[in-house]
Amino acid sequence: MIETVVQDRNRKLAEYLQLLRLMAFELDRAMKAMVQNSLTALEDSVANQQVFSDRLGELADDLSRPASERPVPSAPDADRGLTDQISAASDALQNLNRRYSALLKHSSHSVALMVSLFSSFQGQMQEDSGPRLKQQTWSCQI
Amino acid sequence: MGGLNASLLIASQALQTMQGAIGATSNNIANANTPGYTREVPQFTESPLSQNGNVVIGGGVNLTGLQSVRDQLLSLQIQNQTSLQSSADTQSSILQQVETNFTTTGGDITSALSAFSSSLVRLSANPLSSAVQQGVISSGQNLARAFNTTSNALTSAQAGADTQVTQTVAQINTLTKQIAQLNGQVAQLTAAGKDTGTTQDQRDELVQQLSKLTGLSVMQTSEGETITTGNGTPLVIGNQSFTLQTTTGGDGMQHVLDYGGNDITASIKEGQLGGSIELRDQVIPGFLTQLDSLASEFTTSFNAAQAQGFDSKGNAGQSFFSVPASGAAAGMSVTISDPALVAISSDGSEGSNGNVANLSAALTAPLPSGQSVSQAYAYLVDQVGTAASDAKTQSTAIGQNLLQLNNQQGSVSGVSIDEETTNLIRFQTAYQAAARVVSTIQQLNSVTINMIS
Repeated sequence: MIETVVQDRNRKLAEYLQLLRLMAFELDRAMKAMVQNSLTALEDSVANQQVFSDRLGELADDLSRPASERPVPSAPDADRGLTDQISAASDALQNLNRRYSALLKHSSHSVALMVSLFSSFQGQMQEDSGPRLKQQTWSCQI
Repeated sequence: MGGLNASLLIASQALQTMQGAIGATSNNIANANTPGYTREVPQFTESPLSQNGNVVIGGGVNLTGLQSVRDQLLSLQIQNQTSLQSSADTQSSILQQVETNFTTTGGDITSALSAFSSSLVRLSANPLSSAVQQGVISSGQNLARAFNTTSNALTSAQAGADTQVTQTVAQINTLTKQIAQLNGQVAQLTAAGKDTGTTQDQRDELVQQLSKLTGLSVMQTSEGETITTGNGTPLVIGNQSFTLQTTTGGDGMQHVLDYGGNDITASIKEGQLGGSIELRDQVIPGFLTQLDSLASEFTTSFNAAQAQGFDSKGNAGQSFFSVPASGAAAGMSVTISDPALVAISSDGSEGSNGNVANLSAALTAPLPSGQSVSQAYAYLVDQVGTAASDAKTQSTAIGQNLLQLNNQQGSVSGVSIDEETTNLIRFQTAYQAAARVVSTIQQLNSVTINMIS
C-alpha cells in the first residue's frame, strides 16, 4: 500500500518536473516569438503555457496536501534525486519567469503606446492603394 | 551550458533583441506615408540548441540586422513602365499643342482651301471684276499663310522638343551624380555592418525619377548598382557617375554624347528624353515632309493650270504660287500682286473665263501623290490626330499597369497601418494571457518548496 502511494507520488513528481521543464521551454519559445514579432507562435505558446499552468496547479494542490489528508500518514520520502531536480528546475523557472515578466512588461508598454498613438489618429487612412497614395494620409498626436 | 540556466541568458538576449525589433516596427509606422519607404523586417539568427535530458532548450536569438522588403523584379518593371509612360506623356503633351494648328479655326489650311475655292467660283461668275480678281489673290495669300503657319507650328514644336533634350540631359546628370554618391554610402554602410535601408530607399527614389527621364537598365553588381541607358551607355557604376553631354549637330539639333564623346542620340529610347528625341527626329519631321510635299505638289498643279490660260493683258499665265526647294510649306507665297495677272481666259479674249475651270480643277484633281489637296491634307490631319490620340491612349494604358505594379510593390514593401494595428491588439491580448501565467508561476514557487521539503 505504502509502496503504491510512493510510486504514485513519484509519478506525479516526475510529471511535475516534466511540466516545469516544458513550461521553461514555452517561456523560452514565447520570448523568441515576441522578439521576432511572430504573433502566431506567441499565441500558440501562451495557449500551451495556460494548459501547463493549469496542470501544474492541479498537481501542486495534490502533492502539497497536508500529511493528515494523505492516504498514508507518513509516506516515506520520495525519490531524493527527483526532488532535487524539481527544486533546481523550480528555481530556474522562477528566474526565467522574472525575465519573461520583464520582457512582457516592456513589450506591453511599447504596444500600449503604439495602440494609443493609433487611437489618437483622427484623419483618414488610405491603405493598399500604392505608395503614391500614402503621401498625405497619416499623422498622429502624442 | 544546458538546462534551465541557459534560458536565463536567452531571456537577457531576448530583452536586447526586442528593443531592435520594436525599433524597426516603430520606424515602419513612422514612415508609413514616406514616398519610396521600404518596410524593414528584423533579421534574427538562432543560437545553437542545448539539451537537458529529454528537454531541448533553444539557444535564443540575436538580432543581426534589418532587411528592407524589396522586390527587385517589380522595381525593374515599374522603372520600365515609368520610362514608357514618360515618353508617351512627353509626346502626347507636345502633339496636343500641335493638333490645335490642324483644327478648323478659320486660319487653318482647310478653311483657306475652302475660301480659295469659293473665290474661284466667284471669279468664274464675274471674270471681269477687278475686285473679284483681287479676292482670288487675297485668298491665295491666305492659303499660303496657312501653310506657313502650320509649318512654323510644327517647327516650333520640334524646337521645343529640342530644348527639352538639353534640359533633360542636365537633369539626368544631376540625378546620376546623386545616385553615385548614395551608391558609395551604401557600400560604406554595408562594410561597416550598418543598416542601409534608408539610403537604399533614397537611391531607389532617385532611380525612379531617372527612369522618367530615360530608359534604363539597372543591375546589381559587385560594385553596387550599375545603371546604363537602354543601349548600354553607362550612367552610374558604383560610386562613379558618367556625365552625358549635348552638342549642336549638323542638322542644327542638340545631339546627346556619352562620356566618351560618342553620339548616342539615335539609340536613346523611352523616358522624357527618348520621347522628345523621337518626336523631334521622327514624328514631327514626318509631318513636315508631308506638309512640304503637299504644298509643293499643289503649287506645281495650280501653276500648271495658270500656265494653261491667259491673263487679262492677253499674256500666258505666269506662276501664281512659289515654293522654295526646301521647306516648301514654310516658304510658300503668292508671286503675283496684280489682279490682272490671274489667268482667267482660256484663249486670251476679254471676258473669257475658260481657264477658271482649270484653276478650280487644281483644287479637286488628284495630285501626283494620288489624292486631291483637300484629301491629302485631311489625311495629314488624321495622322496628327491619331498620333496625339495614340500617345494619350498609350500613356493611360501604361498608367493602369503602373497602378497595379505600384499596388503590388505597396503590398510587398509598403507599411499597412491597419495590419500593424490588428497585430498590436492581438499582441496585447497574448501579453495579458501570458501575464496571468507569469503570476501563476510566481505563486507556484512557494507551493513547490512546501511540496518537496
